[in-house]
Amino acid sequence: MPGRTRPIDKFATAVAKCSKEGKAYGQCITADYNNVYKDKCLTEFLKLKECYLAAYKKW
Amino acid sequence: MNSFSVRSFIPPLTRRCMPLRVTRPYAIQAAGAPTLEIFSHQHKWMQKERAAADTETSRKVDYLRDEIASRLCERLLDINRYFPNVLDLGANACNLARMLTLPSEDSPNAGPRYKRVGKITSVDSSETLLYRDADLLFNKEIEITREVLSTSELLPYEANTFDAVLSSLSLHWINDLPSVLAQVNNILKPDSPFIGVMMGGDSLYELRTSLQLAELDRRGGVSTHTSPLADVRDVGGLLQRAGFSLLTVDVDDIVVEFPDTFSLMKDLQAMGESNAVIAREKGAIRRDVLLAAESIYRELHGNDDGTLPATFRLIYMIGWKHSPDQAKPLERGTGMFSIKDFLEKGQKDTEDK
Repeated sequence: MPGRTRPIDKFATAVAKCSKEGKAYGQCITADYNNVYKDKCLTEFLKLKECYLAAYKKW
Repeated sequence: MNSFSVRSFIPPLTRRCMPLRVTRPYAIQAAGAPTLEIFSHQHKWMQKERAAADTETSRKVDYLRDEIASRLCERLLDINRYFPNVLDLGANACNLARMLTLPSEDSPNAGPRYKRVGKITSVDSSETLLYRDADLLFNKEIEITREVLSTSELLPYEANTFDAVLSSLSLHWINDLPSVLAQVNNILKPDSPFIGVMMGGDSLYELRTSLQLAELDRRGGVSTHTSPLADVRDVGGLLQRAGFSLLTVDVDDIVVEFPDTFSLMKDLQAMGESNAVIAREKGAIRRDVLLAAESIYRELHGNDDGTLPATFRLIYMIGWKHSPDQAKPLERGTGMFSIKDFLEKGQKDTEDK
């Protein structure tokens, strides 16, 4: 819809600002992707989420 | 006191469509077990209606359907024959009809492709999507009839009606594929082709695997986000079971590059191809999972230039309705020359040039 930003666009813009944290998280998961369990990469994910939340608020 | 009812202003929640015709021209034998219902037709219908309501966005994401419809047209024109009456089953936005009005990519000067097609009947269950392009110019160039089906699994046509049945990118939402293919075989005239293309096998495997890994890490379990799809091996069996002869099945991969997973998901939604599996988790995907999936997709499948590839695997199928005077494959051992020599000769010719 014109004149309205969809939440997913806002979300995507915020995520794009955290490529460094995203890369760290992705590498942590894909290092051994045959053996993934819950909260395997919790520290990396929390860093990513923190960065994303900050970017989302600033926007 | 005057009471004022707003009911007449509220659009009906149920679908408007042709009532099922009373005649039952063909009885299909019920399979031994009740049909497993995997996809929700109501939900699929709603997604398509919503997607088509936003005409501009919906036209923007036609790139995939147009390309595939164009490739399907080429396969139709490979058959040296005139088709007076053609059915386009699951037409989406009548992409096939539009592609038929364009010239062939191999011979751009030969004029439009529809010269060998007489009348085309486009049917789909979603009215808005079907009539989306009804006022465009191509409708005047080709004789096209649009019909809204109440369900995409029941074809209300007499036996031996069509000279060809085409289907582009809609068979992968059908629950009872054997029954639909048997009906297609029934409405075809003898010695007429069915040419279809559907998503299959490893379509969107990148998205599937990243979402699975993300959900495993974030939530400790996996839920369904992409449809189960037919494989190449299954398609041959399905066509044979429906009674087609002279089968041809081939596979084509189209890789589209997206800037991020969100663009991919947005495009799929605008195509009306979102998840409609009945057993899906209701409600939106959690943001935590989306966030994780984006990073995993980029790391696991991403290209060096920062784009994300998405593979669409298309299964093309051609089957002919059986007829006694049809060309038959030659008997084994009756070949007069070796294909190997022939191909090697062709290779030498190109090398000489």
